[in-house]
Amino acid sequence: MVKTQYGIKYAVHLITNHFGNLVAKVCECLLRKGPLTLHNIVRYTELTQMQVKNSLLVLIQHNCVQAFRLADTGGSQSAPKQITQYIALFDNILHRMRFSKFLAIISQEFDTLCVGIVEGLLQHGRLTLRQIVERANSSQKEGNSVGMGAVQENLRKLVMARYVEHCPTAEPFLESPTEDDAPARKRGAKSSKMVIEPETLEQRVMEAARPMEAKRFSLEMDTELNEDGEKDQNKSPDKHVGDKRKRDASDPNVDSDTTEDQVVLWHANFEEFIRRLRHKACIENVRARMDDGAAIVLSAMLEASKTEEKKVRTASSVPLSVNSIYEEVIKSEKGRNMTFDHVRSALVQLSSPPPFVTVIDESYSIDFKHIIEVAQSEEVESIVLKRFGRDAYRMFRLLSKAGRLLETDKISDKIFVEKKETTKILYKLWQDDYLLMEKLVVGTATFLLWKVNKHVLWEHVLDEMFHAALNLSLRVAYELEQQKEIVNLPTDRREGPMKEKYEKLKKMRVLMESSQMKLDDAIMLFHDF
Amino acid sequence: MTWTLGMSRLLGQKRKQTDSKSPAESLTEQERILYNVIRNKQDMGIWTRDMKRETSLPDNVVNKSLKVLQAKNLIKEVVNIQNKGRKHYMATEFEPSKEITGGTWYVEGNLDTEFIQILKEQCTKQIYKLKVATLEGITDSIKRSGVLNVELTKQQIDEIVKALVLDNEIIELKSNGMGEFASIPVGKICYKCISKGSGGGEPKIGAMASIPCGVCPRIHQCTPDGIISPQTCVYYNKWLDF
Ligand code: SF4
Repeated sequence: MVKTQYGIKYAVHLITNHFGNLVAKVCECLLRKGPLTLHNIVRYTELTQMQVKNSLLVLIQHNCVQAFRLADTGGSQSAPKQITQYIALFDNILHRMRFSKFLAIISQEFDTLCVGIVEGLLQHGRLTLRQIVERANSSQKEGNSVGMGAVQENLRKLVMARYVEHCPTAEPFLESPTEDDAPARKRGAKSSKMVIEPETLEQRVMEAARPMEAKRFSLEMDTELNEDGEKDQNKSPDKHVGDKRKRDASDPNVDSDTTEDQVVLWHANFEEFIRRLRHKACIENVRARMDDGAAIVLSAMLEASKTEEKKVRTASSVPLSVNSIYEEVIKSEKGRNMTFDHVRSALVQLSSPPPFVTVIDESYSIDFKHIIEVAQSEEVESIVLKRFGRDAYRMFRLLSKAGRLLETDKISDKIFVEKKETTKILYKLWQDDYLLMEKLVVGTATFLLWKVNKHVLWEHVLDEMFHAALNLSLRVAYELEQQKEIVNLPTDRREGPMKEKYEKLKKMRVLMESSQMKLDDAIMLFHDF
Repeated sequence: MTWTLGMSRLLGQKRKQTDSKSPAESLTEQERILYNVIRNKQDMGIWTRDMKRETSLPDNVVNKSLKVLQAKNLIKEVVNIQNKGRKHYMATEFEPSKEITGGTWYVEGNLDTEFIQILKEQCTKQIYKLKVATLEGITDSIKRSGVLNVELTKQQIDEIVKALVLDNEIIELKSNGMGEFASIPVGKICYKCISKGSGGGEPKIGAMASIPCGVCPRIHQCTPDGIISPQTCVYYNKWLDF
C-alpha cells in the first residue's frame, strides 16, 4: 500500500529517534518529494553538501535509501548522460520498528551465534564477513574466540534460509525514464481497470538493484579475510559514494558492479522476515477462528510450500496433496500425535466455505488473500464498534458485506434500528470518512444512499494507524522524560512511595510497549501483507 | 400488571378491537364528505393537510368533523412511520398498511425492540442446539419448541437470522456436504453459532481499538505540537492511570 501522510510523519519520527535531526531532514525531503539528485537535496534542505552526503551515507548503510542512475534525456540531443538519484525506502524504514520481531524469529529457529549475526546486521545495516567475525568475537569472553569457520557456517545457514542476503547493487541503472512514465501508467490503469497494483518506483528501483537470484544468496564467501584491511576501506561506503560520483562524471560507462564483487556486503533480507510474519499472522487467524488442529495443518502447509513462494504478497500457495500435507504435519512436534483422519478433517474444516484453503482435484492450496482480508475487516470493524457503538457496527458490517450502495430505510429495516437514529449514525460514520454518501433525488423526494469503499477506507485506516503509532511513540517518550528520576533511581532506593511509583511506571511501560508491537502488527496487516 | 408490547405479542394477545357498529347515518353533509375521503384511502389513511386540500373544506370544519367522526368510532388516528409528527387518520375498519406502520416489527409507530430481542435469543438458542442449521430448520425448531405463541413466517425468521449475522452472533456458511454439513445439501446456505472458545459473540478487540488514539473522536485535530497533542492528551491520562 501507499505511503500516507502520517506514514511519512511516522517514518521521519523513527529516523529522528535513531539517527537524529539532520539525517531525518534529508530522509523527510526524499519521502515527500520522491527521488532526487544530490544537488536537489542540498537545494531543498538548505543543508551543506557535506551534511547531505553524510546523511545519505547513514541512510544507505541502514538500507533506508537506495541510489540509482537514470538516463538524463533532458535538453540537448547529445548522448544521454546518466544522473544519480536517491530514493527513500519507506518500507525499510518502518521495518526498523520490527527488529525485535525479526530477532524472535531467528532465535526460534537458530542458535545464539546466528542470533548474534542477525542482530549485528540489523544494528549496523550492512556488514562484511570480516566485520561479522569481529563482532562475534568482541561479544565473547576472553579466550572464547569464535572461529572464522563457525561464523561462516552459521552465516551459511542464515543465507540458505534466506534471512540474510547480499546487499543490493549500489547504483543500478533504471531503464525507462520514470518521471514521464508514472502519469501514463496511472491513466492506463484507470482506463483498463487494471487489477494489479501498479509497481511503485520504489519497487522498480529495488528490483533493478537486487542481485540475480543466484548471486543474491550465493554462498561463495569472499576472500577479503585473507588480505589486509585495505580492501575493506575501499569498501567503506563513504569512499564508495564519493568515488562513484567522480567516476560517473568522467566516464558513465564504468560498471560500478565490478569493484563490488570483491568484497561482499551482507544484510538482513527483510522480505523473508515479513513473509514469515505474514505466515504467522495467517496461522494465528486460523487458530482464533477454528482450533489448534487447523492451525497445525495450516502451518505444515506453509512449511511445505514456502520454497515455492516468490513474493511476499502471494495470493495463494502451490497446491499440495493430502499425503504431502500429512507428511509435513508429523514432522512438527505438535503435529506428531495427529492421525491421518484428524488431518483430513482439519482440511475439511479449513476448506468449508468461506474457505481459507481451496480444493481443486484433491489438492489443497492456502488462500492467503482471503485470510488476510478477513483479518483486515475484523480490525476495521472492531474500530467501528469501539468508536461508534454497536448499531454502527451492524450498519458497517451490512454495508461492507453488501459492497454496494444501500438506502437508509433499507439499512434501518435490516438492522432493526429506527430510521431517524439510523440516519444519525450513518451520518456520523460518513463524517469520519468511514462511509461514502450519495444523494438521489426522485421528484421531490431525496434518498440517501451509503456505501463502504474498502479501497479508500483501508488507506484511511492505515493512515490513522500511522498517526496512532506516532502518538503512542511520542507519549512513551514523554512519560519516560517526565519520570526520569524514577527511571534512574538505583535499586536500593526504590522504597515506599518511590517503589510504588516505580511499579506504576513499569506497568505503564509494559502496556504502552506491548500496544506498540500489536499496533505494528496491524500496520503490517494493512501495509505489508 | 402492565404488559409491554413484546410480551403481549408473545402471548398471542389480540390488541383491543374497537367496537365499530355505530351508524354513519347521523352525519352532516360535511362530515360525510370527509368520512368518504378518509375511507377511500383504505389502509393508507390520510394526512389532515391532504384532507383539507381534497375536500376544500375550511380548517375549522375539518377539525370539528374529525372530532365527531372519532367520537362515533368511524375513524381512528394512526401513527405514520414516515412522518410521526403529522396527524394521520384512517377508517376504523382498516388496519394500517406496512408503509404506514413500518411493517411487522413496528407497534403503534415504534420499533418493537423487546419482541425482536426475544426472537433473536430464541433463534440463537435453536441454532446452537442444531449446531448447523438451515433457515427451514430454525423455523421448524422454533415452532416445535412452542416458546412463542405467535405464528412467525419464514420471512420473519430470515430477517432475524440476517440481523444475527450482522451482530456477529452467528455466521452464514454454504454447505459443502461434508463433516457437520453432511445432512445438508451442497451449496445450501446455513448458519452456525460463532464458537464461544474464541471469545465468540464478542468481536475481538483489535490493536487499534485497544489504544486511546484508535477510538479517539479528536484524532483529526490532534498534532504533536497542537492544542490537542499526545503529550497533553486526557484519554491517555485515563488509560495509563493504574
Ligand atoms: S493522543 Fe489523545 S487526543 Fe490525540 S489522537 Fe490519541 S487519544 Fe486522541
